This record gives sequence, structure tokens and C-alpha cells, in this order.
Amino acid sequence: MTDSTPHENGANAGVRPGHYYGYGIPYLPIDGYPGKIIAIEGTDGVGRSTQIRLLREWLEVQGYGVIETGWTRSTLMQPTIELAKSSNTLNKLTFALLYATDFADRLEKEVIPALKAGFIVLADRYIFTALARAQVRGIDRTWTRNLYGFAIAPHLVFYLKIDERTLIRRVLESRGMNFWESGMDLKLADDIHDSFRAYQRSLLREYNSMADEFGFRLLDAKRKVEAIQEELRRQIGEFLAESDSRPI
Amino acid sequence: MFVTEWNSSALVKAATKAGKKKNALTPMTFSLLHATDFADRLLYNIIPPLKAGMIVLADRYAYTAFARDATRGVDNRWVRELYSFAVRPDLAVYFRVPIEVSTDRLMARRVKLKFYEAGMDMGWSSSPIESFRIFQGRVLEEYDRLVEEFSLDVIDARSSITEQQRAFRKLVTRHLAGAPEEQVEAEPMETTEAR
Repeated sequence: MTDSTPHENGANAGVRPGHYYGYGIPYLPIDGYPGKIIAIEGTDGVGRSTQIRLLREWLEVQGYGVIETGWTRSTLMQPTIELAKSSNTLNKLTFALLYATDFADRLEKEVIPALKAGFIVLADRYIFTALARAQVRGIDRTWTRNLYGFAIAPHLVFYLKIDERTLIRRVLESRGMNFWESGMDLKLADDIHDSFRAYQRSLLREYNSMADEFGFRLLDAKRKVEAIQEELRRQIGEFLAESDSRPI
Repeated sequence: MFVTEWNSSALVKAATKAGKKKNALTPMTFSLLHATDFADRLLYNIIPPLKAGMIVLADRYAYTAFARDATRGVDNRWVRELYSFAVRPDLAVYFRVPIEVSTDRLMARRVKLKFYEAGMDMGWSSSPIESFRIFQGRVLEEYDRLVEEFSLDVIDARSSITEQQRAFRKLVTRHLAGAPEEQVEAEPMETTEAR
């Protein structure tokens, strides 16, 4: 694969929210669909799922239809991805493609129908996780972005930003470090702690470099759960009011 | 690499099989799963023998995906970029038959058409044979465009197997005579037309 400048038809800046990043899915035109995609991004252990649970409650109380979609949760691909992770036999390219297949399955079967019906889609991670992981593994940037050219640009992307030290403490306090979250497949270090640190550091660098390009709204993940939630609700509330989105 | 080769191929196959069994694949996931399987075979089964200077005979290559995915309505530029990690074959031969011959041969050989092979997922006809005729007819039209775009060598597959084999051997012989001893450099498969 050759390295070149980002392709205009890949996942890139300058795409209007609710539109395909690139070539899209020709047999599924989505123009004018009333739903919204709100993505919460951030590395492992920053508290995304807690925030999404709280957001969902808040939105539903106001009468909005809400669906959640999350990384590797497609019915088609979840068992395969789990198996791939447990056997550690796939290489970086096939892994990237399995993730993309999972994303495509969820996009077509969950996200697009929800957008059509005017729902709010809360995405626990979006394509940015895939872009960061692929980039850290040395996969050609242009290729990955073209690959996700079928994705839809979210209306809002919140990035829960955390520093490496806080992240390490949090992960150790909660569930410990696992093979994949530590990027042990990259053989950065024999020791899981050292590998985790090196891997997460590279991932954080990738997320940061995408922040401007994709218009991330940064939130300090070190703040209290309630404080982050309050900020999320404030920004989402403003957005929904401006976009004239009404509960369905 | 390790002895994990077989397992990992089987893994992708398992997902494809599960999806096909439940008829759960969309044109996009069908395309992506086949690309995953191809990537897996490329890295484990195609590139190592190439590096060792061997000849790899591939029964279908990325062109199959280009033809089928385009027929299913996937963006053809996207599919070409998806497969840009593939090694461009030194020789690509297309065995061309009219749709009637293809249908007759299939009918003679087998009773039941497979769901995706017949393009039943497109919902163009509830009759498998009719669906196959429409779907494969369009796939063949795509192949004709690919012959141009990628300069595929064409063999008339209406003729007898002996004749086809003779033509095939002639093509391969001519290619090998003109090729240097070790042609192992992996060229990314990209065309200007696809860009």
C-alpha cells in the first residue's frame, strides 16, 4: 500500500453531519432523514457507557426515541470478533476489516433505520476508534479512511479526553489490564503495564490528532461523572433546540 | 508465520457461513466479509509462495468481488479502493460464457441454487433460476467492463475443455517465457481508471 494525501472520498473533514463521508452506500440514500447521531468517543475506561446510560434516560424522559449502538455489538460479527480476539490469530489487516464489517452491519440494520424514524442514535464509540487503532498498527491512513467512506458523519462527537496516568490508575482500580486494551499484539513490550502505557499513549495521540479534523467536542474525563453528564446535556440540549428536533 | 494459518482462515469462513445461512448479509457486509477472507488468504496463502518465487494459481481473484459487489449496488470505486492492498496478478484470465450456457451448465450439474449465488438477496425474482439468470447476467456485464479496465485475457469458455486448456496453456507459456525468473515484487493493485 502506498501512502498519499487523504482522499477526498474517505472519512474526512468538511462533510455535513448526517451525510456519508465518502462514496457511501448507493442503495441506501439517507438525505433528509430526521434522526441524529451522537457519538461518544474515548479510549478504554474513560466512562463512556455510564455517560450514555444517563443520556439515554434524560432523552427518553423528554420523549425522544433513542437507540444505542456500540463497537463490535453487531449480531453478525460479535461472535467472530470475540473468537478472533481469544485465538489471537488474525493480523492487523483482517482485524481492521472485521471491525468495518461489524460497523457496516450495525449501520445498515440499526443506525440508518433509526435515523429514518427520527430517533437519536447514541453511539458508544464510532469510526474514530477504528481509525486510531488502525493508525497505531501502521495501516495506511488513506486506505482506512476510504474504507469508512460508507459511514455517516455524526451530528455531534464528544471526546472524553484523559491523560495516560489517570487512565492507568482507573483501569487498574476497576478491572485490570487485558491483552487487547494493552495492545499486546503490537509487541511493544513484554510487560503488560509497559505495553498498555505505550499503546494507550499512541492511541491518545491519534485521537488528539483527529479532534480538529472531525470536530470533536472535548470533555475532560477526569471530572466527576455528574459534571460531565451536565455538560453533555447542556450541549446536546442546545443542539437539539437549534436543529429543531422534537420528541417523536 | 505460526501454525495459526488454518484457524484464522476458518474463522472468517465461519462468519461468512453463519451470515449466509441466516441470509443476514447485506451487499456491504457481503463485500466486506469477502474482502476479509481475501486479505486472510492473501497474507497467509498468496504472498508467502510469491516471496518464495512460486507460481500461485488463484481460482477467482478480486475481480469476482468487483463484478458481484457492483451488481449488488455497492459503489465500484469504493470496492476498488478496498482491494488496493491486493497484489496485482501477473496474469489474469477470464473464462467468458454467455448467460444461457452458464445457466444450462449449472442446471445440469446441480439441483439447488445457493441463495447468494443466485442473487436472491436482491429480491429481483422469487424463482431461484430466474433470479440467477438476472443476477449472473448483470455480473457478466460487469466482467465485460472489467476486461477492459484491467486488461484481462479472455478465453472463450463455450469451447471444449481441451480447447480451453490449450488456449490457457498458450497464454501461461507466453507469459512465463517473457517473465524474469523471480517476479516476486508485490505491486499494489490500483488502476488510474478506478481513481
